[in-house]
Amino acid sequence: MHFFLRFALASCLLVWLSGCTPVQAWERGTLARPEMALEPDTMEQALNNHVYFSKEASSGGNSASGGGCGCN
Amino acid sequence: MDEPANVLLKTLLLYCLLSTTQVFALEPGDVAPAFSLPGLRSEDGTSTTLADYRGKVVYVDFWASWCPPCLVSIPLLNELRNRYVNAGEDFEIVAINLDSDPEDGIDFLLDDPVQYRVLSDPEGATPASYEVKGMPTSYLLDKTGTIRLVHEGFKRSDIDMIEAQVELLLEEN
Repeated sequence: MHFFLRFALASCLLVWLSGCTPVQAWERGTLARPEMALEPDTMEQALNNHVYFSKEASSGGNSASGGGCGCN
Repeated sequence: MDEPANVLLKTLLLYCLLSTTQVFALEPGDVAPAFSLPGLRSEDGTSTTLADYRGKVVYVDFWASWCPPCLVSIPLLNELRNRYVNAGEDFEIVAINLDSDPEDGIDFLLDDPVQYRVLSDPEGATPASYEVKGMPTSYLLDKTGTIRLVHEGFKRSDIDMIEAQVELLLEEN
């Protein structure tokens, strides 16, 4: 590719990067809505994690402790 | 090494290194930035400025109705404020609501009314000047308008620590 074309592309990319700005603390009203949560039901997530790491017979999976019996 | 692609890569990396946003925060000892804001309720047309509270220990509280810990703090702060004001102490709370739609803040206060002034800054100019990093953030100012305590977040037990600080500042002249 021609050098100047690359240069133009890189310049565009640099300008585009400067458009990234952090969301300020007081602008998070929409992000704070319950439907925006990655996991809407924390209880269900905890149970699913428990079943998951029990079936995997692994210890410490998903930051929960225990062995493979699923009884803890 | 001097191939164009490498130069581009270096430029990009350099940009990434240099483009980190600098984070400054107001700290105890800084003078609280002035503000002049209208009340949250639209019929409350007069503006309130920070200078109106000069000579008092002031607790400036930034909150929004979508922030659960803010809502925990409000009844506790109102109780604290009423206790001190009714005792004739030079203490006052001024809250700044940051809901982009002020109606949301008004709705919450209908259920949990407060006796201190609640101002509205949906544009966020005041929290920007106070460099608010999280919600809620509050600033306890002494009688000269100097920030003495920056409090981020809120849990129920925090109110005792806040009261102790208020008590200390009230004893100063």
